[in-house]
Amino acid sequence: MTDDVRRLSDELARDPASRVFVPLGEALRKQGQLDLAHKITVRGLERHPHLADGHDLLARIAVDRGELERAFDEWDMVLRLAADHVGALRGMGFVCFQQGRLAEAEQYLAKASALDDADEGIAQALANVRAARASGVNPAADARREVRLPTGTAHDTRFLFADVLTDAEQTALLLDRDGLVMAGAYVAWDGRDVSQEVGAELSGVTDAARRATHHLALGDWTSIVFETEVTVVAMAPAEGDALVVLATSRSTPLGLVRRLLDRCTDRARRWLGGRQ
Amino acid sequence: MRPTSFGPMLDTLTKQRGVSAALVVSERDGIVVDSNLQIGQSGDRVAALAASLYRKARLSAEAAGMGAVSFMSLEAPHGRLCAVGGGELVLVVVAEAAVNVGLVRVEMLKAAAGGSLAGAGGADGAA
Repeated sequence: MTDDVRRLSDELARDPASRVFVPLGEALRKQGQLDLAHKITVRGLERHPHLADGHDLLARIAVDRGELERAFDEWDMVLRLAADHVGALRGMGFVCFQQGRLAEAEQYLAKASALDDADEGIAQALANVRAARASGVNPAADARREVRLPTGTAHDTRFLFADVLTDAEQTALLLDRDGLVMAGAYVAWDGRDVSQEVGAELSGVTDAARRATHHLALGDWTSIVFETEVTVVAMAPAEGDALVVLATSRSTPLGLVRRLLDRCTDRARRWLGGRQ
Repeated sequence: MRPTSFGPMLDTLTKQRGVSAALVVSERDGIVVDSNLQIGQSGDRVAALAASLYRKARLSAEAAGMGAVSFMSLEAPHGRLCAVGGGELVLVVVAEAAVNVGLVRVEMLKAAAGGSLAGAGGADGAA
């Protein structure tokens, strides 16, 4: 343990409500102690949920862990708390660039650069994005086509959504048109894997939804959400009449549920595309 | 179809801005018990499909031990279909995409919780 970490840890122990969790988490992050940094930051944010720098740190920890979507969400939160937060603008630019969204990357970085024109890193990143846009080459495009699974799980389809979900209370499943499980898992609250049972009951949902929206001239259905006493379940269609099913706890905000469903659907689409 | 005691509840729902139809449907067979329709001739088919979707949601929730389904919403670019269950019946609402779904949800849950739906025996006559 370095002197800095020891000093900051002592300070946090003396006053758990202080904001010292941010420099402490940052010091740990720099040392590569990502799990500990994450734990301390999350705990700190429970006391200071509107502290932009805390969310910014959580985003950088997520990047170090390779969780770009999570980082995007945290920086998105930072910008809602502090629209001119240079670190978040730079971070959003980085994530968008990694995801091949060059126009958005340029917007974020241009704003960051305008707010801090002395930061050479931002200026260089902005120049790189503009050069990529001008050349018509999207450096992230090829990488984006590949489905990246968590280390060690690449051949176990049950983990297809593992790195997309953000906490242990979420579970996701991909079903074929007959309700047979293709990937993911549906874990009940008591820990049982009920994927097959849930799949069997949801067989035919895609067809029924399509026919209902057809009769009503509503266009192609995009999602079904239902609430139970303890859960919110969201479903979306995927290629070949497949169905993505996501379950989250009832306390999950619906906006986040939608975002998670979009991510799961995107993951399923890439995975299904890769199998053809 | 003869009038039923669901009429006032259906009227209240269809008065919501953006709601084009409200139906009470048997969950088991998808038959319309009462309706307030402005969705052309497809009411019976839509009712059957909505009941089927709601039933699938309920059974999947049972299979996963998640408790009773309270509210279901199917979304599409030009509108949505909402359902709330009560006993053997399902209350279905068809609405525009821009509808205040939160308000519709509250009204539907209120109808179900208030016994307007579960009290199917109060119908003056079923279809």
